[in-house]
Parts: sequence; C-alpha cells; structure tokens
Amino acid sequence: MTSLLDTPPLGLLDSLRGDRTKRPRRDLTSAAGLRATLDDEFFALWGDVVFDAPLVVRASTLRREQSTALSSHPLAQVRGVLVNQALRLVSVGVDLERPFDDALSAWRCEVGNNDLLAFVDGLDAEERARLASAVDAHAQTLARALGPLRGRWLPRTGVRASQRLAGGNVVVRDTVDLMVGSTTTDEASVALLDVTTAPLDENAERSMRFHALVQTLRTTTVPLRTSAFSTATGELWSLNVDVALLRRALDELVEAVRTLWSPS
Amino acid sequence: MTTLLHRRFSPSALDEIIATAPESSAILSEAHRHSLSARFRAVATTEHRAIDAWMVEHGGKPHDLFAWSPAMTRRTLANAALRRVRAHDVGVLDAVNEEVDELLVRAAAGYTRSGSLASWLAQLSSPERAAVLAEATSWTSQLVEVTAPITHAWSVAVADAHYDVAQARTSLRARRDLVVEGPHGRVVVRVRAGAPGKSAGPGLRADLTVDALRDLEGRPSTRYVGLWPEAGVLLSVDGTMDDLRAGARDLVRTAVAWRRHRVSVAA
Repeated sequence: MTSLLDTPPLGLLDSLRGDRTKRPRRDLTSAAGLRATLDDEFFALWGDVVFDAPLVVRASTLRREQSTALSSHPLAQVRGVLVNQALRLVSVGVDLERPFDDALSAWRCEVGNNDLLAFVDGLDAEERARLASAVDAHAQTLARALGPLRGRWLPRTGVRASQRLAGGNVVVRDTVDLMVGSTTTDEASVALLDVTTAPLDENAERSMRFHALVQTLRTTTVPLRTSAFSTATGELWSLNVDVALLRRALDELVEAVRTLWSPS
Repeated sequence: MTTLLHRRFSPSALDEIIATAPESSAILSEAHRHSLSARFRAVATTEHRAIDAWMVEHGGKPHDLFAWSPAMTRRTLANAALRRVRAHDVGVLDAVNEEVDELLVRAAAGYTRSGSLASWLAQLSSPERAAVLAEATSWTSQLVEVTAPITHAWSVAVADAHYDVAQARTSLRARRDLVVEGPHGRVVVRVRAGAPGKSAGPGLRADLTVDALRDLEGRPSTRYVGLWPEAGVLLSVDGTMDDLRAGARDLVRTAVAWRRHRVSVAA
C-alpha cells in the first residue's frame, strides 16, 4: 500500500508505527528464502567464479542516472548531508535554533575534514547564505513533521548495513536515516525512514524497497514499514513490507548486479 | 582444529550460541605463561608495545593516533548507558544523557585528566555534543536490541581484559562488552561496528587467549563471541587448547610484524 500525504502529519513517526493492535506477526522465515534466491540468481549469472573485487551495490546504484546526475552536485550533496545531520540532532531532542550552523558543527565534529567540508568552507558569502537558508527550510520541515521521538522506540540514526552475497562476489551496503522499533517483539514493529531533500519519485520508492530488503537480510526479521520523507515537499511515502515487496526489491537488486557485472 | 563458528544474526541467535557453549574449557598453566613470555621476549623491543585483536587482524599495523570523535565515544558511552538502562529501567536517550551529564559534572569538578572523554566532552559546543549523543544513542539502542533475547544472566563488562606479559614490555588487550553466565561457565561477547574481515577469526582467538591470561586460574571463557550487528554476523570460538595456542601464536606473530612496521618507519 502506498499512501501519499499532501500535508505533513503532526507526528510522522506516530503514523509510521500505526496502531499496535493491527500489526502483523513478526516474519522470521522469509529472509532465508530471499538469501537463497539471491545466491541462486547470482550463481546462474557467473557460476562459481570468484571475483578479485566484489560488486558493491548501494541504494544509489538502483537509481536512474538522470536524478543521480542532479543530486551528485556538491551543493545538493552538502544540503543532503546537513539535513541528515539535523535529523540526528532532532532525534536526540535538540531544538534546532540555527539548523545550518548546528548541523555543520555536528558534521565537522563527526568527520573532521573532508572534501565536501572544504567545499563548504570555500563558498563565498552569498552561496553560503543561500545554502544556509535552504538547509534551514528543509530542517524545519523535518523537525515539524517528525514530532517527539520516544526513547522506548529505540531510535537509531544512520544505521549502516553490509551484506556479503554470492560468496562475497556481491557486497550490499546501505544506510537507513532513521530506524525505530524492535526486532524482538512478537509483532513486526521496525519502521525505516529515508529522508531526502529531493521530491519523491520512482527512485525513492526503489530505495525504500532496497532498505527493507537489506534490513531483512541483516536482522532476519521483516520490518513493518519502509518510508521516505521529502523535506522539499513535505510528502511522506510509506509501504507496508511484505513478501511481494521484498521479492520486487530482490528483482531490482539482481537487475542492478546484472548491469554492474556486464555494463554493455 | 579450530572451533570457529559462523552464524547469521537473528533475534534468538545470540542466546542459542550462548546456550550451546561447550561444557569444559582448557586451562592455561604457569608453564604456558612462561613459554609465552619467553616468546615475546625473543621479539626484542626498545619501547612498550600494546597488542590487541585489531592489530592481529591488520598484520601488526600500529593504531593511528587517537583522537576523540562521536564514533570513538560510542562504545564507552553506550556500554555505560546500557548498564543504566538495566539498573534503573530508563529509556535509552535518558540513559545516554545521564551518562554524558555525569561526565560533564566530573569535568567541571576538576576530577578529569586532559585528553579524557569527560574533558573532551566539556569543550564541545552543544550541537557537537548532540552529535555524540546521537551516535551513542544509536549504538545503545542496537545493544538493547541484541541483548533483549538473552535468557541467561549477563552484565556489561566493567573493563576490557588487560594482561602484561612479564619482562617483555608487552601489554595485551581483549575487547569485552558483555559477560554472560552461560550454562557451563562464562561466555564473553564483543560487539563491533562494520563487517568482519577475513582475519576476524584470528582476532577473536587472540581476544580469547588474552581473556584466559588475565584470569588468575588461566581459565578461558567457554565461548568467545564476536557480534557485528551491521553485517548481521556472529562468530565464535570455544576455549579449547587448540584455539588458545592459535591465539597465542597470532599475538606473537603480530609482535614480530609490529616490530617490522616500526623498523620500516624508522628507516
């Protein structure tokens, strides 16, 4: 099910977690089948050949090139990173007064120095002010929509995952911006949230499915929901995770690997 | 023969791996300690060397210069916060906040040394401190997740295991995050970020050996478990004499490789 909200809900996470009494039972069995299917698909592609270097697949690998080109501009990247930092700060209850400055300080503290930070430092006053106002607007949209995060939901930000498939020939890497809920309850309760500064499109939907698949493989537990929130438009897309969705994500992953393996 | 076991992570996998730990484990005698000490002494050094599983896994490569960052603080803060969550039944974020506040109070009272976590936290701006909080909260939540299904008695390790090799200017360190009272003795769990590399097994065996050496009776854990939540992988080794010997051999080899690194840097 895909739901589209025209206006950001008061508590975005409240709506993601939904009614507890209506959640499906936790699915612990699908992960093994998905992994076996992936291994079979890859074996059909290259047999028992062992690659010198693995094929690395990320959510961005599944996207179409047009939008990748747009979002790979350093300014867009910096904006994305800073809005993500703002999410991390909001998740621990920080009231963002100056989102751009706060997010930049947090980012600098985390990574020390890198090329993107050097790019920000090299911006002239006008460009920097434009970036700051964009980040402030995106971060405020996010903070307003997110609402309070309860500690009992086990909020995790920037959750990384790495899965070796096909004997290490394929490595799947992923980072989920925000994850809440537990894999240990009897009913499915994990909700994944991807925050993007771009409007939601087909690529966002592919990423949502990819996150669900990778988290299923990592934890052996099928998440409850996978979602994407656009800070540009305030839209929230949310999908209930089921076997059909995971199967579709698997097909997209196999397709991406096939493209990587034989680019022609 | 090594007892290295590889399992995919699932909510019950850690508890199962603890429940199936072997009944008995080998014991390191005084003769074993003397023999190890002699081997380390044979790898001469003019300076003190500290060896841990990370160095074993990276062929004796010395650690980079240490600097605090949110990622470097997460294990210390998260383990302390997990202790609070268990003891006082508080939420994860509250536990991390309390831990950071306590460190800041200590820094303000002057009970900290320069370079310590408390003094570093005290000099951060509030957004920077929030970045630390976010990192530690995420890691604590991860720990709460993996420990929730454990049905045996367990506690957060008070400290890593350290062992000074007699007259060899060598300290060994084993990482320990959780100590579980398994059915036949203690099981140690260490939790690491990232994914295990090809030499994760030797690293785990090195930790097992150091953990046995620091025990007064030379008794190792019945099982030493490495958990990589991000990769969804569990590795374990049992406290057998074969694994202890392999761990000791890898530690000595690492000392040799470390000396080569130092010599090449000096040249």
